[in-house]
Amino acid sequence: MPAPNGMAVFATMLPTTLLVVLAAVGGLLGWRRPGLPPSFHRWLGALALVGAAAAALVALRGVALSTNGVGLAAYAGGVVADRFSAYAVLLLCGTGLIAILTSGAAEERLGSRLPAYHALILTATAGGTILAVQVEMGMLVVGLGIVVISLVGIVAMEKTAEAPGVAAFRSLISAGVALALMLYGLAIVYGATGSTDLAAVRGHFLHSAPLEGLGLALTLLGLAYLVGAPPLHHWMLQVASASSGAVAGAVVSLAVAAGGIALIRVMVSGFSATMHPWVVVAGVLGAAACLYPALLSVVAGSVRRLIGLGACLQGGLVISALVGSGRGSDLRPSGGVIALLFGLVVFVLAIQASFQAVARMEEDGIGGDLAGVRGLARRSPMAAVLLSLGLAGLAGLPPLAGFLVRILVASSAVAGGYAWVAVAGVAASAIYAIAVLRWIGAAYVEDEELPAVVPHAPRLASVVGLACALFGVVALLLAGPLLYAADGAASVLR
Amino acid sequence: MSFLAQATSTTTTSGVTFPTLVLTAMVWSAVVFAVVALLMPNQTQDQLRRMKSLGSTGAGAALFFAVWAVETQVSQAAAGTGGIPGGDLFEQHGWLSSFPIASTYHLDADGTALSVILVVSVVFFCAALAAWRNQRHVKLLTVCLLTLETASLGILVSYDWVLFLLFWTLAIAPVYVLARAFGHGKGERVATRYAATGLVSVGLLLLAAMLIAFQAGAHSFDMATTPVSLPGDGEAVAFWLITAASLLAMAVVPLHGALLDLEEDSSGVLSAIFAAVLPSLGAYTLVHVAVGFFPATSGSFSLFFAVVAVVTVVWGGLAALRTDDLRRLIGHVGTVFMGLVLLGVAGHTSIAITGIMFLLLARGLVIGVLMLLASLIQERTRRARISQLGGLAWQAPFLSAFWLVATLAAAGVPLLAAFAGDFFIFTGSFPAHRWATTVVLAGTLLASGVLVWTAQRVFLGASRDTFDRVRDIGPLELTYLGILVGLIVLIGVVPGHFAEVFQNGAGYILFPGVA
Repeated sequence: MPAPNGMAVFATMLPTTLLVVLAAVGGLLGWRRPGLPPSFHRWLGALALVGAAAAALVALRGVALSTNGVGLAAYAGGVVADRFSAYAVLLLCGTGLIAILTSGAAEERLGSRLPAYHALILTATAGGTILAVQVEMGMLVVGLGIVVISLVGIVAMEKTAEAPGVAAFRSLISAGVALALMLYGLAIVYGATGSTDLAAVRGHFLHSAPLEGLGLALTLLGLAYLVGAPPLHHWMLQVASASSGAVAGAVVSLAVAAGGIALIRVMVSGFSATMHPWVVVAGVLGAAACLYPALLSVVAGSVRRLIGLGACLQGGLVISALVGSGRGSDLRPSGGVIALLFGLVVFVLAIQASFQAVARMEEDGIGGDLAGVRGLARRSPMAAVLLSLGLAGLAGLPPLAGFLVRILVASSAVAGGYAWVAVAGVAASAIYAIAVLRWIGAAYVEDEELPAVVPHAPRLASVVGLACALFGVVALLLAGPLLYAADGAASVLR
Repeated sequence: MSFLAQATSTTTTSGVTFPTLVLTAMVWSAVVFAVVALLMPNQTQDQLRRMKSLGSTGAGAALFFAVWAVETQVSQAAAGTGGIPGGDLFEQHGWLSSFPIASTYHLDADGTALSVILVVSVVFFCAALAAWRNQRHVKLLTVCLLTLETASLGILVSYDWVLFLLFWTLAIAPVYVLARAFGHGKGERVATRYAATGLVSVGLLLLAAMLIAFQAGAHSFDMATTPVSLPGDGEAVAFWLITAASLLAMAVVPLHGALLDLEEDSSGVLSAIFAAVLPSLGAYTLVHVAVGFFPATSGSFSLFFAVVAVVTVVWGGLAALRTDDLRRLIGHVGTVFMGLVLLGVAGHTSIAITGIMFLLLARGLVIGVLMLLASLIQERTRRARISQLGGLAWQAPFLSAFWLVATLAAAGVPLLAAFAGDFFIFTGSFPAHRWATTVVLAGTLLASGVLVWTAQRVFLGASRDTFDRVRDIGPLELTYLGILVGLIVLIGVVPGHFAEVFQNGAGYILFPGVA
């Protein structure tokens, strides 16, 4: 990496700065000028996210023009701008943009707190961008803290209802435990290696040292909280069940995106995937994180819980992909990372599409249990389309790109020598697919004699949700270019 | 069809090369119509009629391209290239080149695929015509049928594991939804059971695909290179994974329960598709992938296939004898046919494999006709039990005649479609498995006897007052039954039309290097 300079600071921190500044502006305007229409805050948020994405692209151009063409480092090498960070920032900004554009569905429940809600989405995204550029333990903790606090705050925005308040409180407790686990883990790693720099840690790492292995395992457990992997997955189910569709979609998708990026940066780029102890832990955690929610999904009593479990399953796949990120001689080193980077895009969109279906059902006054979903295609065709495409995406059913992600993740795990992780992932996806088919079948087949919902003009949230759902099909057809981009991002992590 | 065959040439007289897109058009035409159907309203009778005509047109378009593809290969059979991949139907485009294991959009077809392609496209077209009488869930039926057709045809022409698995998985959801929507009482349970079976098959195939991709050392999901050579026990493991998945899909004994329940519980049109198409896809996978990839390994396990063939045929024949349900009986006869396919695999000779291709072609048509006729009988008499039927020939002579032709075809009577398949399979398998061939022959005769006996119980005897108002088949039924029965007769009379394509295909499967 070249020596830190102004250009490097600019390239690494501009997206984060833009997001934080415009979040503050939006929050202040909402406080000082409560009369401003919701659409103003929505478009301000959208502008911030588009600006941050553009800044990431500018930084990418700067990286290409830099002396080594690989990355720009700043703050004593604590943060870097490279192709991976650009990909990650684009993913996070896209996720945040969807969350902002679909916030209209929650306008009624959020009321005057809508500007604060938008500001928190921007700060959560900003925290994610820090996770994307960090290569040092201190920045990791800062980034993760910002993301977690922002997400808990977003859930708490719906405090007028009791359930979201409880969900926010439980999320806060889980987040505290996760942060504590990660801090303990990082402290142990620091104690064992004497460095907070992730690249330096790798250099000092001893194979199969129990203390270091424990440190890495605790760090992994803490980070896995964000992607909803057991044992700290309850918060995600709670949010999925208690929050409104739009809020749940925003929180869960941002968490999965940020969590996936943090896992890659820390576990692959930092603690190299060639280090055996944590890969075994990741394999066990990934397999459990796939199978546990899949088994629970068979008896899920509401569509919200089913989607929440589906999101947890995606988290399991994220961790499973990590085991194929370095070991093995058959694949290039980053096979798992390519799959994971491609998968994160697909997962985020499937989660958003599913929760937009919930939002649409809320709007149409349709309950989320099996009785409510019966005959949904006749009563609310838009909700039925969103639900079926979203759930099929989460289950990895063709023609959605989730299917391809599973093949790539499984291939990477097998290439890494962890065929049992691949088997667990495929089995979990099959079990979840059975559960999903049951609900999709109910939506299209059961002819309940219930009145059809009066159709109304499609709202922006539904249109965005539909676009997310359809992108699942497009991503399968255009998997080549998307994988090319993911390959480019992964190449700097080798 | 010779004009079609000539039209497939990839090079024009001006020297400009155009890509061959026959298989792409065949696979995707149905789903394009499905998407259009999805966007169309379906409230009024006129809209429903439009929806049905869209379904028939979509299936018709797929049939057109399927016949084009088949006839292209038939016209080139004499030159030795028809029925072997790499000919005029070959299509390959880049898809997932950035992933460490490359995957391409690779379509092609061999003799086995061509026989099943013809069956699938004809049966779906006839089912789409038969579905004109349906008034329930019209949009759902149209969309799911067309999607299932795309998935089925896609399985048959995929030469890349990712594509192959994609189409395999794509077939599961429409079957589930259709079985649930049109099931008679046990819809959800039956649909779930079949979906679970299908997903297990996909899982097994995925594991086999990864094993082959990694151990073969090619870093590719391409399926064109045969035979596959893997180190250590890799070949045996991959072979058994593919075989297990195929046997699950073929619904051979003891893995037959899910498909039989599905066939019995679904409505007539769907029963015809499920019984005629789904097991054929499993049989194709067994022959084309398991045997074609590992000819030596499959040869060394031929005794296993002979034993399963015997068990399947004997059990199928006896179960057909015992059952009183018309559609379940046909399902059992379909199982017997699958036993014959297994015997052909056990035979492991070019003659036996050629016989399998003929049999798959005949089986799909015969079982399709019988299922459609059974549903017409059930619809007209409101009875599904054979013991409650009788004397229908007086009220429905044409229906009886069609049943009789289909029954004779199923029995393997000369000049009807199944004769060539039966003959080649028995001839090709007898030298290797004399006892098994003899027992399978006896089981087949038992099943044929049961069908003839059923024809006697259902159609002959004194006319019954309760069936006085039973209608004979109308123009619509005459059209689609006529197509199916006409093909059964045509293939029986001129089996030589396909013989060379199938022989070339069999040579490619057993001796890929030579072919």
